[in-house]
Amino acid sequence: MTTAATGLADRLRELLGPDRVLEGDLARSLYSHDGSIVDGACGLVVLPETTGEVSACMRVAHAAGVEVTPRGSGTGLTGGAVPLDGGLVVSLARMRTMDEVDVANSCVWVQPGVLNLDVSTAVAHLGLHYAPDPSSQQACSIGGNVGTNAGGPHCLAYGVTVQHVMGVEMVRHDGEVVVLGGAAPDPPGYDLRGLVVGAEGTVGVVTRVLLRLTPLPPDVRTMLLDFTTVADASAVVQGVIAEGVIPAALEMMDRNMTLAVEEFVHAGLPTDAAALLLVEVDGTEAEVTTATAVVERVAREHGVRTVRVARDEDERALLWKARKTAFGAVARVKPSYYLHDCVVPRTKLVEIMEAIAEITEREGVMCLNVFHAGDGNLHPIIALDRSDPDETARAMRAGDQIVRACVAMGGTLSGEHGIGVEKREYMPLVFDHDDLEAQACVRRAFDPSGRMNPDKVLPTGTRCGEVGLADAQVPEGTWI
Amino acid sequence: MDLTPSTREEMAAALREASAAGQVVDIRGAGLHARRGRPFTADQTISTRGLARLVDHVPDDMTITVEGGMTVQDVQGAAAAHRQGWPQAPAEPGATVGGVLAAAVSGRRRLRYGPVRDSLLEVVVATGDGRIVKGGGRTVKTVTGYDLPRLLTGSLGTLGVIVQATLRLWPLPMAETWFHATGDDAAMLALGQQVIADLHRPTAVVASPGALHVCLTGVPDDVVAQPGMQPGGEPHGPVGPGLVEVGVPPVALPALARRLAADGRDYEAWLGTGICHVAVASAGEVAAVRDLAALHGGHAQVIDGDDPLRIDPFGPPPPGADIMRRIKDAFDPAGILCPGRFAGAGAVPA
Repeated sequence: MTTAATGLADRLRELLGPDRVLEGDLARSLYSHDGSIVDGACGLVVLPETTGEVSACMRVAHAAGVEVTPRGSGTGLTGGAVPLDGGLVVSLARMRTMDEVDVANSCVWVQPGVLNLDVSTAVAHLGLHYAPDPSSQQACSIGGNVGTNAGGPHCLAYGVTVQHVMGVEMVRHDGEVVVLGGAAPDPPGYDLRGLVVGAEGTVGVVTRVLLRLTPLPPDVRTMLLDFTTVADASAVVQGVIAEGVIPAALEMMDRNMTLAVEEFVHAGLPTDAAALLLVEVDGTEAEVTTATAVVERVAREHGVRTVRVARDEDERALLWKARKTAFGAVARVKPSYYLHDCVVPRTKLVEIMEAIAEITEREGVMCLNVFHAGDGNLHPIIALDRSDPDETARAMRAGDQIVRACVAMGGTLSGEHGIGVEKREYMPLVFDHDDLEAQACVRRAFDPSGRMNPDKVLPTGTRCGEVGLADAQVPEGTWI
Repeated sequence: MDLTPSTREEMAAALREASAAGQVVDIRGAGLHARRGRPFTADQTISTRGLARLVDHVPDDMTITVEGGMTVQDVQGAAAAHRQGWPQAPAEPGATVGGVLAAAVSGRRRLRYGPVRDSLLEVVVATGDGRIVKGGGRTVKTVTGYDLPRLLTGSLGTLGVIVQATLRLWPLPMAETWFHATGDDAAMLALGQQVIADLHRPTAVVASPGALHVCLTGVPDDVVAQPGMQPGGEPHGPVGPGLVEVGVPPVALPALARRLAADGRDYEAWLGTGICHVAVASAGEVAAVRDLAALHGGHAQVIDGDDPLRIDPFGPPPPGADIMRRIKDAFDPAGILCPGRFAGAGAVPA
């Protein structure tokens, strides 16, 4: 470590004590990785517990001119929480306090280290839940969810994270604390809250989040449908929505994935099916009855083999366990995996599934698909052994071709995982120079120092032009 | 000099020229939401009405891409042909998509469907200095890059002209009906709170002086009159020389509405959302309503009114005003787009 960095560690230890500043080789190695296959370089880690401590750390980092990467649970899949250049990691994992639930306004302030599932668990007795439910919800944090604008199966009907974040408290690059949004809707001015969500820690460190809580639906029905072709399953996805039914969740799993999951979860999944659909409808009893009938009818029109309706909460939980542990089940096939979460218009599902099969077959890699079919959000998981450089290279090539195929079909790079490091060089596939420059300016408006989680989201070389960033004269009394 | 460009390139060129000449520009769609923010003097008005084409409608994806000057009615018409709609939009005859988005005007169905900003998937904007910038994406879900659609929603024409928007559509419900009841304000507010407590996802619960209007949406079995209510039309909205939109935490809204009623004001409270529209007749009344909003944990902005009502349209500057100013500078470096519109009497220049 350089003398300057050692001095930084000393100052941070003065703030947090010796136990909450990590600079050993093991810690630095751990914090150089997340759920992706990106290898980073972490210089130092701090573990603050309060907004005040985060602010104090950020002031020290600001004075030292050090790059800062915020980190939640580290489950991200694009390298967003990985520092690339020996910077400071601000881990929010110890900030796990939830305020008292504001039942009357159906919201709650939580610290960013609170785990996603813990929110719903804590408010279930009030008849409420936190709707976004990434499959990693037992491990991923609210702060990370805010960073990536996380999704989940139930976002089809309920919307993604940004629709459930009413306000954020954020520490800026220089340590200033700012609160954006709140329980009162539509505050005057630009929607900065909306920009912070999904900004992947590049505009500040989120230290508190006001989450919207949603009433639990009075009735729920969960169905497992199985098909002999992916095309039939895709036609049902299309057909159900065309009938005017937006299920709470509409998930697809292909045969490779079903095999891996069934061995792991033993949920009684039909392992000879080409594709499974997990469909959940919720609402009033009348809504659920109507929607269930539509789903069943459309499924039969497209040759469904069996319709399994969860009889009770246990069976429903088992079916969801099968879905949500799918990524973990890949470990039964290969030690590692690589995936992109690109999105295609729902109408292109069959086409893209055929393209993925063709690409992965050509590259000789195994692909398992489990994804949010209702909103076209793919998760083609390429299983690989990273100790095999040839297989790794083929997996990368396949991933690259899949991303390009999605974009060529009118899709986009990420539905819920974010851009991070992994996908930033693909950004020019969907945005031109002016688009990217405008995004760089938005980012720089928040962080003129450019030290907040650099090298993420925007491709190398994207800059906010000098024009316009001088503090222009504004008419008297105006704030914009 | 007024202009009505008929392509996005012409729009960008007009703005580029205005920037070069330092000409202050006002942007106009149908003009329904033009009386927002602090008044300013424009050298020219640029209309979006020449940009009113349907670009792409993919019913099976439930997305529609239109130019900014297209009317909301036309969007609803195109969508309805496929039993779809844009439920977040307000029902205002003539309103343009660009105007509704730039002013972030959500319709009364917000309680069930959310605010209008949640329905904008992709936006294309012509910036103050004449660049064409796109943000978001046309798929129903995307986290690809910074959320420019949300930034532009509610920017009141200060960042650029919305030349194109991709909207997420929803299936038209099998049934939808407005119900109403009349009685004293306290009783109506209590009935409204009861409806919210009893029903799963009502579409709108709107209290106004002496009346309650409830909109229910869904399957026919669920769209039935609640006790004490009969089928009827939508509320007409408060009437006055000016209009203020109050935003308070939802739980505070009944108490705020009771105070408005006691003060004899015409109002429309969207229970469950925290939004309340209040008729005002003077800058003094704006200030009084804003004080009441602040007392209930919220804020108030003037959304319609003659110039004297808009001396202080927003109140104190919001947190992050320096961030907003830098964004404004990047999108409109010459400062020609509606300068001074975002202002409060308490604000100080940087």
